[in-house]
Amino acid sequence: MLEAALEHLVRGIVDHPEDVRVDLRTGRRGRTLEVRVHPDDLGKVIGRGGRTARALRTVMAGVGGKGVRVDVVDVDRV
Amino acid sequence: MTGSASDVAVDSEVVIQEAPGNRLQELEQEGEIAADYLEALLDIVDMDGDLDLDVEGQRAVVAVVGTGLDGLVGHRGETLEALQELTRLAVLQKTGARSRLMLDVGGHRARRRAELTTLATEVSERVLDGGQPESLTTMTPFERKVVHDTVAAIDGVHSESEGEEPSRYVVVLPD
Repeated sequence: MLEAALEHLVRGIVDHPEDVRVDLRTGRRGRTLEVRVHPDDLGKVIGRGGRTARALRTVMAGVGGKGVRVDVVDVDRV
Repeated sequence: MTGSASDVAVDSEVVIQEAPGNRLQELEQEGEIAADYLEALLDIVDMDGDLDLDVEGQRAVVAVVGTGLDGLVGHRGETLEALQELTRLAVLQKTGARSRLMLDVGGHRARRRAELTTLATEVSERVLDGGQPESLTTMTPFERKVVHDTVAAIDGVHSESEGEEPSRYVVVLPD
């Protein structure tokens, strides 16, 4: 449910919605929602000063994802 | 010459008549895009809410109405502000134009507006009596606007915002 919610929120604000992927991973630091987008959309998902990424985290915490990290994965770097 | 002059007259007449209607249509479209975005989210997270669409002044107003929506409001409305921001971006994505749409969830803004109007009136009275400025707690842009509007309507005091987001707050001062 959390993956689907985040996927929907991100798809609505990018140029390449078909390239949006969200995975929920569990690691030592707890659960993390990993967001992957088209490289051209990275700026849109992060926003000025990280504003949009912060908004995504806040909303995800509100819909049942409290304590779940949200990471925007920079595909170029991986 | 006469022909072209009358063409111009017809053109400007058309512009004057159609501009407000087009703007209204754009704002209604903003509301519809926002409603689609929010409805799909509610569906995914299994929350029940009805969407009310309206246009107030120069902005689209979208309200999610229902109970059990506290998660979308958050502490002092911070989740609501975040959701409004994402919703505005979703509208921008579809229309190519920045949106100033206002989102409300579970009547939060209406409630907050009433509380803050009372608070701002009380603080203004204290400042008028004592002659000393008074700082309020940190507020969201929406909350600060309610306070500024309330103080502006009271003679003898005015207000200013100080500090940086997200720790910006209002100070009420004697004139």
